[in-house]
Amino acid sequence: MKFPYCQHRHRPPDPKAPALEIQGLGVSYSSEEKFALRDFDISVPAGSNLALVGPNGAGKSTLFKAICGLLPIRQGHIRVFGHPLAACHHRVVYLPQRSEIDWYFPISVLDLVVMGRYVYLGWFNRPRKSDIEIARHALKEMNVLDLVDRQISKLSGGQQQRVLIARALTQNADLLLLDEPLNAVDASTRQTVAEVLHKIKAQGKTVIVATHYYNQEEGRYDKAIYLKDGHKCII
Amino acid sequence: MHYLTDPFQYEFIRRAVLAAVIIGVLCAALGTFVVLRRMAVVGHALTHSALPGLVIAYLMGGSLFAGALIATVLTALGIGFLSRDENVYEDTLVGMVPNIMFAFGILLISTTKSFRDLFSMLFGNILGVTDGDLHLIMLISAVSLVALFLFYKELKLFTVDPNYAKTIGMPVKFMHYGILLFLSFTVVVGIQAVGTVLTNALLVIPVAAARLLTDRLGVMMILSCIFAVLSAVGGIYVSYYLGSASGASIVIFAALIFGLVWIVRSLSFPPPTKTFGGKLQRGSRSLRDE
Repeated sequence: MKFPYCQHRHRPPDPKAPALEIQGLGVSYSSEEKFALRDFDISVPAGSNLALVGPNGAGKSTLFKAICGLLPIRQGHIRVFGHPLAACHHRVVYLPQRSEIDWYFPISVLDLVVMGRYVYLGWFNRPRKSDIEIARHALKEMNVLDLVDRQISKLSGGQQQRVLIARALTQNADLLLLDEPLNAVDASTRQTVAEVLHKIKAQGKTVIVATHYYNQEEGRYDKAIYLKDGHKCII
Repeated sequence: MHYLTDPFQYEFIRRAVLAAVIIGVLCAALGTFVVLRRMAVVGHALTHSALPGLVIAYLMGGSLFAGALIATVLTALGIGFLSRDENVYEDTLVGMVPNIMFAFGILLISTTKSFRDLFSMLFGNILGVTDGDLHLIMLISAVSLVALFLFYKELKLFTVDPNYAKTIGMPVKFMHYGILLFLSFTVVVGIQAVGTVLTNALLVIPVAAARLLTDRLGVMMILSCIFAVLSAVGGIYVSYYLGSASGASIVIFAALIFGLVWIVRSLSFPPPTKTFGGKLQRGSRSLRDE
């Protein structure tokens, strides 16, 4: 028996629809009148690899948060694989900035990564062996399988990032929204992340990366979108 | 040995110990999430807010349980509702509400002549637990513990990463109110043991002690329960032999356990060190926010 978290049934993707389609999007944080993102349109074909470039405060995180349902949409609409988000929570994963997690919560790395399976488990079902295997596999891909039993407060910045990406991989989503995955991490983590992103792309998944390092990484993306003050600048 | 068994010849002591064990387990189990979600001050607000409910129920000759429950649930929902406005800080609210509710309760009781009953409302009277109270304590505890068991996985995720919980479609608002609701239940049960003023101590102190000893949530909950039960039963013994107030004895017992654990922990483990880019790494040792 399954009891999904959201009342809406998960629907299969519409094969003709783009991975992400946004029209006339306007988003603001609840207490503010000013829109953090305004009149934003974009269509991202499935399987593409996109960079979202812009200074701090340009609206990169805001855009991601709106797509994955963390911020209410004031104007316009967002469709993911042809459906509203409520019909495909499991297909979208958002890699938050590391500071948004309570790293002092007393659980192990494996416990945290297995949480990537919760969207499939729903209420009352506990993670099964197969879920734990998927989590371990993701940790292996991120080269941190040795940290599996470590308490999450005892991770370095780079390790935290790897573990969070492992959780995102565990969800096995088709649209990945990665917020500054390379920010303030060591060179080897950067290398691992780059390799994993390459693999994900080869699997036909759609990836959008918010980044500061666009100049160094230009070759990795199919396309870049520049954001400034909540507007799209150039395509 | 007879020092341990002597008190048990009395029916009211046996009832009190049973109530104390149940209340201890419930407070510690829920207290674990209260502490980890940094809601200790909310617990404080709720415990104090029960007073006017208790007084009104007392004056009207109704059930004290029901009075306390209504007052706490209304406060919990009120805080949850008002704090959705980002211009009303939740911590200001929880600093404000208990004082207002407490003042209201004292205002009401000052209209009567009896202050003896006020004493047991404020500081609890576990030695005066009746069979009816005990049944209610059992019922509320059973419901709360079953809920905690059923939603354990979701509570974990909701606490460590509420945003991720929201992105996978979890009804986070509903869960927030749910925690407040069960916190109210627990507070009402705890009031029976240690009163409105001290119930928060039973929610927080055993958990704080357990947190010093472990990095695992499950172990932490079990240790918290053991500490809470030890405190509750130990407090009853102290109260029996010294004739001291039972609620205060329980809380002091809990504090002694915390002190002992802290000393043992400090002697056997090195203090937190600066690592990882110069940022103070608190590890498992502290409960404070960054």
